[in-house]
Amino acid sequence: MSRLGAVFAREARLAWSGGGGPAGPAAFFLAAITLAPLAIGPSPELLAAAGPGLMGFAALLSVLQSAERLYGDDFSDGTLDLYALSPMGLSLLCLAKTLGQGIATLWPLPVIALLGGLMYGVPLQPSMMLAAALAAAIPALVLLAGFAGALAAGVRRSGLLIALIAAPMMVPVLIFAAGAGRAGFEGDERALANLVLTLAVSLGAIALAPFGIAAAVKSRLG
Amino acid sequence: MLSYFSNPQRFDGLARRVIPVLGVLTVLLLGIGIYLSFFGSPPDYQQGDTVRIMYVHVPAAYMAMALYAALAGASFVFFVWRHALADAAAEVIAPVGAVFTVLALITGSLWGKPMWGTWWEWDARMTSVLVLLLVYLGYMALRAALEDAQQAARAGAVLAMAGVVNLVIVKFSVDWWSSLHQPASVIRFDGPTIHSSQLWPLAIMALAYTMLAAWLVFYRLRSRAVIQRARQIERRKLQAARAAQSTQGSGA
Repeated sequence: MSRLGAVFAREARLAWSGGGGPAGPAAFFLAAITLAPLAIGPSPELLAAAGPGLMGFAALLSVLQSAERLYGDDFSDGTLDLYALSPMGLSLLCLAKTLGQGIATLWPLPVIALLGGLMYGVPLQPSMMLAAALAAAIPALVLLAGFAGALAAGVRRSGLLIALIAAPMMVPVLIFAAGAGRAGFEGDERALANLVLTLAVSLGAIALAPFGIAAAVKSRLG
Repeated sequence: MLSYFSNPQRFDGLARRVIPVLGVLTVLLLGIGIYLSFFGSPPDYQQGDTVRIMYVHVPAAYMAMALYAALAGASFVFFVWRHALADAAAEVIAPVGAVFTVLALITGSLWGKPMWGTWWEWDARMTSVLVLLLVYLGYMALRAALEDAQQAARAGAVLAMAGVVNLVIVKFSVDWWSSLHQPASVIRFDGPTIHSSQLWPLAIMALAYTMLAAWLVFYRLRSRAVIQRARQIERRKLQAARAAQSTQGSGA
């Protein structure tokens, strides 16, 4: 267990030292939700209605934006070869590694989404619902990005490839997480159901994705 | 059975005999099917002649899904038994499946305009077919990006198998999404179960599409094997030339 903790801590420290930790995804997320009203138009009703969906979409994009680093560096410097030799089991290590980096870099997203929701004119309660749903979605998003990242590790310009592979996989998470915020805004009682479904997808990803990521890593190590 | 056709020569012998048979069957069944769908079936009491789009649309959608199932099945066989032919099949099936998916989307759009009054509707089924197209494209892009053939084969197999789990969840979530989002603006084809005068042309067209897909897959498999053999011969020639050069160099 402590060895898994060490991998988790290593990833968190690397995220801070190598690329400013949460600053990159947070700034990207902020830029995306700042630009969106300029494209859609300043109408308050329109923005409030589109807000939760836009927030979910922008969060997905910022996860994809940082996905290239998840497995790319460790693939090229040989760390993954060592992980594959470890008696710990590759899937557990991949789980600790992916969640470590994901949580270290993505924790500000729900906070910014809460603020962004209020700025878009979404009332407080649905904004909080949306923030909670995004927090619940992060494990699933980062594990799916990790799966795509492991498949495409070390490929030149892998960012585009990762986005193409991961986008269809993220459809359910996006639907449920953004759906929680939207249903909350519309006063629909299904907001809670959406939140619980987001959690379910995340738990399912935690249970299944490590095996997929490990298989992906092994397929690339040859 | 599985190991029998891992011998390329045996498979080539089979493919050589199967390809013309499939070609003839495709042309024959497509001919009958198109005749039946234009002249041998009545116009619909609600949709009029537009219903005939169904005979090209439904089989395309069915092939889009069936070919993904075939892709995933071939990937599974390759992943478990490392059967080279299964990987070759997965590689050649993917573009064929993607083309049928595009065909399903286009014909569906052409059918949607007269029936629903719109080329595109964010309806659950259409959206999940669009996602299926993305899955095909992602698979093809991954294989194209990995230069090492063995790595491309294994990574592709992992992705294709994960896609099965993913597509099931996508189907379920998109149903939930469109029921949350959209009041019924789409006329659903929920009427009485399909009449036999329409079922016959549809079944024959579905069979014709299946033969067409099988024909294309076998054809591509065989041409892939031929290309590989040509490359091998070229490589050997190059090696022989190099060897001759080095012996000359050491002799002088």
